[in-house]
Amino acid sequence: MSEVRLAAEPRTEFGKGAARRTRRAGKIPAVLYGHGSDPKHLALPALEFARVVREHGHNAVLTLDLGDGNSELALTKTVTTHPIKNYIEHVDLLLVQRGEQVTVEVPVVVTGEPAPGTLLTQELTEVTLQAEALHIPEQVELSVAGVGAGTQIHARELSLPQGVTLVTDAEALVANVVPAPTAAQMEAEGGAAEPAEAAEAAAEA
Amino acid sequence: MLIPRKVKHRKQHSPSRKGAAKGGTRVSFGEFGIQALEPAYVTNRQIESARIAITRHIRRGGKVWINIFPDRPLTKKPAETRMGSGKGSPEYWVANVKPGRVLFEMSFPNEAVAREALRRAIHKLPMKCRIVTREGGEF
Repeated sequence: MSEVRLAAEPRTEFGKGAARRTRRAGKIPAVLYGHGSDPKHLALPALEFARVVREHGHNAVLTLDLGDGNSELALTKTVTTHPIKNYIEHVDLLLVQRGEQVTVEVPVVVTGEPAPGTLLTQELTEVTLQAEALHIPEQVELSVAGVGAGTQIHARELSLPQGVTLVTDAEALVANVVPAPTAAQMEAEGGAAEPAEAAEAAAEA
Repeated sequence: MLIPRKVKHRKQHSPSRKGAAKGGTRVSFGEFGIQALEPAYVTNRQIESARIAITRHIRRGGKVWINIFPDRPLTKKPAETRMGSGKGSPEYWVANVKPGRVLFEMSFPNEAVAREALRRAIHKLPMKCRIVTREGGEF
């Protein structure tokens, strides 16, 4: 993963009013913490940070210019987004050092199409990995091209880059290929109508 | 139809319709989903109707997840009844849906068919909704 340089400004006022003013000014309120240091409240440029997340994923490692000549290496820990409008509301940044091992959630991306007449269910969309801070994989690819029904792919079968270790349970199911359900099965799945008495009983219980 | 097996109180206050969804705002099981854009009480009949609309359109080869459950009873007084004499009897079971909540999710190999199935399901629901994808909506 490449390192991205971003200018950050310190924030002096706090609370929802101040946070809203920061957002109106085209910035994102953020907090930087880690290694036992006091948390630093920052404002990041909204468009540039959104581009970083889009291009480098949620585990982007940033070099933050803190304005007073200092720069810090930080890992994006949590990105809070608005549930409907889809803009970034707040960012938690974690201080890291070069060569430090960090534990991160990395998305699992399924590639290829399983055999015809099957349905792929992805049970795990992210796996927890331990990697060197500057060499976090953006994603873990899982090829299911031509895989037949009844195949189960576990976390231990994922191919990880060198120097990266799996933290998620090795036996955790990542993807499951099952025979495609028939129309009758789909109809029966959630369609078992409750008798009217059950509703009455539930209401009177 | 979805209904609680047992409830602690058979008549409850009407659920609050304020605010936005705190969780369940992303597609987490399937590939596509229906996201609410307005607050609403979604009844178990509407949920069932939307589910049937999806399954009848895709026919076979897909999977549907229902992320909401109608666990709140709403009461109603009988027609032509004078006011007073206590609270009416339970009439509906509703899910209290807030904006941003993903209601249904589905997996299906063909995106166009999946989107059409979800569009049909949205017509069965009482509020404005949109179709969201697992990858989509990244700022």
